[in-house]
Amino acid sequence: MDNIYINSTDRTPEVDFNFTSNHFSLRGESYPEDVPTFFGPLMTAFSKHVKSLDGGSSLEFNFELLYFNSTSAKVVMNLLELLEATASNGAVVTINWRFAADDDNMQELGEEFGEDIKIARFNMCPMT
Amino acid sequence: MSLAQKHFQIRELLHDQGVIFCYSGFMTEGILSGIGQAIKHKMTLESADANAVRGVFSVFVEQMQNIIRYSAEREPEAPPERSVLSYGTLAVGREGKHFFVTCGNKVKRDDVPRLQEQLTVIQQLDHDSLKELHKQILKGEAPPGSKGAGVGFVDIARRASRPIEFDFVELDQHYAFFSLKAVI
Repeated sequence: MDNIYINSTDRTPEVDFNFTSNHFSLRGESYPEDVPTFFGPLMTAFSKHVKSLDGGSSLEFNFELLYFNSTSAKVVMNLLELLEATASNGAVVTINWRFAADDDNMQELGEEFGEDIKIARFNMCPMT
Repeated sequence: MSLAQKHFQIRELLHDQGVIFCYSGFMTEGILSGIGQAIKHKMTLESADANAVRGVFSVFVEQMQNIIRYSAEREPEAPPERSVLSYGTLAVGREGKHFFVTCGNKVKRDDVPRLQEQLTVIQQLDHDSLKELHKQILKGEAPPGSKGAGVGFVDIARRASRPIEFDFVELDQHYAFFSLKAVI
């Protein structure tokens, strides 16, 4: 699968999906005008990729979001569910939740999302 | 009354209620972007706490998107789409040490009972219960009674430092006016 790189805008995050190295990241703000249009193709590609992974693969996903709206939150939840399912199929999955150290809400959201990640590794990464 | 007097009267009415930003009219995603940037800028200039800036901005985005997607007063009269113009009012202001974000728009009277029920549930939940409901909705496992509760309203309530306020006033046989306020 071709790697995907999309520059950030005021309302959409930088997307870096490297299917070759299995390193993925979303970085920046996320409140697109139209969430399905922006994230739909990305979710399709990512979902297809993780389903094809061998048990011995390892994958890393970095969330480094400064802000995401409630519609984007559903996308984050879907990604985390896919990552947990990938880990339960035998791949080694690391999720890094990067947030500004003084951002109470982003920390709380990380803790909330991380609670349900049992098999993948979920790291809280405050940035100063 | 002169033109300037009329305008000044409106300005004073808003100013007396602590309003910093106010918009009334047709709303679009472009207007959301513009006002959103201005709110961040103004709050940062006022040296507001970074968490307060994030909270106000987030509640502003959710309220604006609610109006854009769900206001019953729109052009063209069509299902929610990106390109529609939706009518509503929105204000951001200061109340002592706190900021508030409040909005209003027309809704269909048929939708009032559902909104009333959802918002009453959300209004009565404490912070931990809101967190729980938020996650259940995102997972598509919302419990009965909160059925279809908008994740946007839960998000607004989570960011608020006290229970959200809302009410409705009937306008005619088809429409009511809905208003919501969150203090951050």
